[in-house]
Amino acid sequence: MNQKNNLIIGLIIAGVVVMSANIDADPRDFVEGLPNIGIILEEITEVDSSLFVTAFWAMLETIEMAFIGTVVGVAIALPLSLLAARNLNRKFVYVPIRALLAATRTFPSILWAILFVIIVGLGPFAGVLAIIMYTVGFIAKLQYETIEAVDADPMDAVGAIGVSKLQLIRFVVLPESASHLLSQILYIFDYNIRQTSILGLVGAGGIGFYIINYIKFFEYGKAAVFMVVVLVTVLIIDWVSVRIRDKYIVKSQRGMQVKT
Amino acid sequence: MFATKPSKVKTLGKAFAIFTKTIVQMNGISASYDSKNYVLKDIRMSVDRGSNYAIVGQSGSGKSTLLRLINGMMNPSKGKIMVDYQTPNTSDKKFKSLMHKIGYIPQNLGLIKNSTVLENILIGALPRVGGFNSFFKRFSDLEIDNAKKILKQVGLQDKENRKIYMLSGGEKRRVAIARALVQKPEIILADEIVSELDHVTAREIMDVLAEAQATMNLTAIMVHHDLQLALEYADRVAVIKEGEKILEIGVEGDKIVDFQSGNYTQREILEMFSGEPEE
Repeated sequence: MNQKNNLIIGLIIAGVVVMSANIDADPRDFVEGLPNIGIILEEITEVDSSLFVTAFWAMLETIEMAFIGTVVGVAIALPLSLLAARNLNRKFVYVPIRALLAATRTFPSILWAILFVIIVGLGPFAGVLAIIMYTVGFIAKLQYETIEAVDADPMDAVGAIGVSKLQLIRFVVLPESASHLLSQILYIFDYNIRQTSILGLVGAGGIGFYIINYIKFFEYGKAAVFMVVVLVTVLIIDWVSVRIRDKYIVKSQRGMQVKT
Repeated sequence: MFATKPSKVKTLGKAFAIFTKTIVQMNGISASYDSKNYVLKDIRMSVDRGSNYAIVGQSGSGKSTLLRLINGMMNPSKGKIMVDYQTPNTSDKKFKSLMHKIGYIPQNLGLIKNSTVLENILIGALPRVGGFNSFFKRFSDLEIDNAKKILKQVGLQDKENRKIYMLSGGEKRRVAIARALVQKPEIILADEIVSELDHVTAREIMDVLAEAQATMNLTAIMVHHDLQLALEYADRVAVIKEGEKILEIGVEGDKIVDFQSGNYTQREILEMFSGEPEE
């Protein structure tokens, strides 16, 4: 048993080494390149503070895109996840829905963004559509897994009354999974803000547009302003979502108390 | 008896059933989960309308399965079962309207932990509420008044807005009973509803059920762990052992009577249980 474990760990390490050689990932290059960080740091210290106003509005646009994308995406995902749950539907319903969701998930958001830039043109709308697609594929999977994990006892007890499926969903499935669903929505919003920040790379709006353009022209100081704004925003949103989680979600799950 | 039944008696079978007062009838019922091992073997059982029927047995004796056969949540592999003149079948529309009238309280109660007491018991009223209104949790004043009346009846009048996870074990059982009563049921099926409670609380809960049963004219079929408690409250007690009904007994006066075969004396019945460790 122990020897077998050692063998598996050894094989995994060997795999990492062999694959690194195969893709030319040489740690020596990293060490040699370290002085280059100095160049970046030097450039960054020349922060152009007049850009903070522009960065603020660009960040606001990013947050708006992420918000719209999350809300619309969740609104589409929730009914789909109810149809994809195996404990609520027959096979001929959940199999095609699951296949559709899996297909949606195969594209990362940046590829969706490229696709929508081609369809609706450059700008934030393409980014919003990309976020919606990604959110649907991703959150619907999390949600149908949550719905499938709903306690069988209340489903059984209420099902025995002979209520309709819609009533079962409204009175058992949603209340029983609400705190998990809400937690997942907060998570995807958090995640979508970070994703939207890079969609500008392909011209789909948001703060990433400025970052990529300044980097292209080696104006690291200007790019740094925008990156700092992203960093601060993500930290704030992270903090807010932790507070929301503690207040509304953790408490309702098994009545747990959080030490503050 | 006949006056309380407004619907016209249509079939001879139905007329016969009313005449015999039987609400649940099982003939040679066998049931299994994996088609190899039977959890119930050749059960014969007949429950009178308005009676309090208890099923007693050790864990794994198949008593919970017996309840699930009555509300159609499970189908027997052999034998015939009739509940209010119908064969339980959850996909049958006619039986579905009977399901609305069967209050089922599973062992784990099946309450919605994050919902309030009132929301939980209004679930019992759902069959009478339209799909649109129920989606927006809109209930008529009549239904809400009725639900509150029942909350008072089970002793939870000031707890309607509490969440389930805030309640004690005894209170949770009262909520489950209230949900079943809001259904305006004809039959209540309760699976080990007092097994995990202390003696005092267990009797309080049983009193609530006994009172509801008497005033609302219901048939109660309850699974118990404790023979003494079952004999105290039930008109008849079926004893199940390893999937077979070995006895059907009841108390008449101060004597235990064997209804099934008449072969056992009170002393023999008590001796059968003295060897069994009860919790």
